[in-house]
Amino acid sequence: MDAFLTSRPIGDLLSGIVGGTVIGLVALSLVLIWRATHILNFAQGAMAMFATYIGMTRLQHRLTVNVIGIHFTVHFNYWWCVAISILAGLAIGGITERVLVRPLYGKPEINPIVVMVGYLALLEALAGAIWGTIPITIQTPFSFIDWQLGGKTVLLSPNDVYRVVATLVVAIVIALLFRFTNLGLQLRASAVAPEVSRLLGVRVGRMLTIGWILASGVGAVAAVILTSSSFQQPLQPPVMEAPFAIAFIAAAIGGLESPTGALVAGIAFGVMEQFVTDYLNSNYVLLIALGALILVLMIRPQGLFSKRVVRRV
Amino acid sequence: MSTFFFAVSDLRRAHPVLTRATLTVLFTSIALVITYFLDSVTNFNLATGAAYAVVILGLSFLTGASGQVSLGNGAFMGIGAYAVAIWSVHHATTPIVATLALATAVGAGVGLLIGLPATRLRGPYLAGMTIAFALAFEPLVSVFGTWTNGDAPIQTPLLSPPGWLASLVGQPTSSLTTTNMWLADISIVVTGIAFFFMANLFRSRTGRAMRLVRENEVAAELAGVSLPRARVVAFMVSAAYAGLGGGLFTLVQGSAQSSTFNLALSITLLSLLVIGGIGTLSGALIGGLVIAYSQNWINWLEAQTGVSSTSGLGGNLKGIIFGLALILVMLLAPLGIAGTIRFVILQQFKKHPISRPSQTADPQ
Repeated sequence: MDAFLTSRPIGDLLSGIVGGTVIGLVALSLVLIWRATHILNFAQGAMAMFATYIGMTRLQHRLTVNVIGIHFTVHFNYWWCVAISILAGLAIGGITERVLVRPLYGKPEINPIVVMVGYLALLEALAGAIWGTIPITIQTPFSFIDWQLGGKTVLLSPNDVYRVVATLVVAIVIALLFRFTNLGLQLRASAVAPEVSRLLGVRVGRMLTIGWILASGVGAVAAVILTSSSFQQPLQPPVMEAPFAIAFIAAAIGGLESPTGALVAGIAFGVMEQFVTDYLNSNYVLLIALGALILVLMIRPQGLFSKRVVRRV
Repeated sequence: MSTFFFAVSDLRRAHPVLTRATLTVLFTSIALVITYFLDSVTNFNLATGAAYAVVILGLSFLTGASGQVSLGNGAFMGIGAYAVAIWSVHHATTPIVATLALATAVGAGVGLLIGLPATRLRGPYLAGMTIAFALAFEPLVSVFGTWTNGDAPIQTPLLSPPGWLASLVGQPTSSLTTTNMWLADISIVVTGIAFFFMANLFRSRTGRAMRLVRENEVAAELAGVSLPRARVVAFMVSAAYAGLGGGLFTLVQGSAQSSTFNLALSITLLSLLVIGGIGTLSGALIGGLVIAYSQNWINWLEAQTGVSSTSGLGGNLKGIIFGLALILVMLLAPLGIAGTIRFVILQQFKKHPISRPSQTADPQ
């Protein structure tokens, strides 16, 4: 058993799943926005990166608050910064939808693409202008040292477990929200049939904003757990570019309509990335992902997990 | 002036191709003469801008005619650039025309390869796939490291301007003034030819079919246009133009490096297209001029505001400006510069219909 757990393929599988959580979460956030507004958010990764900067640059800062003459000093530890990042992510999602996306509904397909790409460039440049382009390493409360079994290393550390657990928590919260709450029902209804929902008293415009807020929050969690990996992925403006590209491919292969499909495909791509990096060369990761996308779309243009929508004359 | 305008418009109706050819030769010649009076740095910027303009022309066709968006044209540009760089290192004596034709052909070939699955994709899917392609370009160059020198740049042999140009300028052949003027002249001629072909393509049967695809897919299919074919042809043409522009870019810069052709370049190309005006050919030229002078403007802005170019803000000023421009133009003036000018002129015509010279004589 020990020999099995410390073997090379199992090690790759474990680190692949850990790495795939980020891709899965970004893919999930893309699907949430796509289902709600039929816009592919190219700035998803950049928005998450920006939110993470807002929170994580507070790390080790102190804030002294004066309440009726008594000074309270807050030391920003890791969890405070995570909370701020997620709140920032939620806020960025809401503001983006209200200011940038709202004028785009009903416009030609190309307009939202162009605007979101511009937003991506703007956010990355702004982050560089505000916080500089030097990568920032983030320390988490968990150990990065891999566990040992019988003198050999299992490619899994407490920090890796934290990343997987955080992903699962987010995925379960989103699933419960959509399935079992009144809000979730309204969100699903306004995505499927906006006109009917409006007639039944659902405030569709508000639901679209909430959809963006949720997706942006999920994205922020993804960026936080990606950069909470010590030296592997320090925080820097383009940090989310490659995860976004692979997450898009994963979401498209899983079918942009299916949250489960996106999450599963994302984690599968993480595993693929790890195996390719270990046995081949990290240069091949995006090329293989691109090849997979091309192959799947040739065979099943609607993705693996989506129902077929016929677009014919 | 208006007499000249009507003469041209009559001629245009009678002999469209001939008129376009004449106008292209006329404007290209004027531009060539202008390069004689420009200083060396401006000529170099002009040459770079012309290379960009060729790429944007292709993008303009893809987006304006068939309604697709590509964020991979920076990578196609890189493929043309590497084709020229690798070829000219081994065969330095090949004429420029042949080298650029090679870049165009390689661009078209790779465009076909990527474009075939793209026929299955629509709007955002296609844009997403091309983003992945743009990000995959640098790894791709590394994978073919034995040819491409990996991440390191490939230096191309210097172009030597002909003797007659040197004697015209009154400087030695190897001088910077002569070389940069020669580069600007080559780029202008190539841009002129590219523009001429694109103008004809836009108004040809293929171009009309593609605009119909953009406006209404159902109507296009009913009219007998094959959607997959129209899409793949548009994608291939834009990739071919990107390859040509990339090849020209390498000749001008004297080197090719994979990090130049990143996602940011593709985004810059898209913003230049949008700023110039989607679906207009003059917009592509405006976009080329904007990029040619953007570094000057940014330097000026930095000098005015006292922002150091090495600071965080200074280093990211270009990204901020282009990102902001992309958003603002799309939200406020989606027609772009050329499209807005055309729109305003059309409105003027509607308000005050200018009658024909023969009719103005008619007393009311």
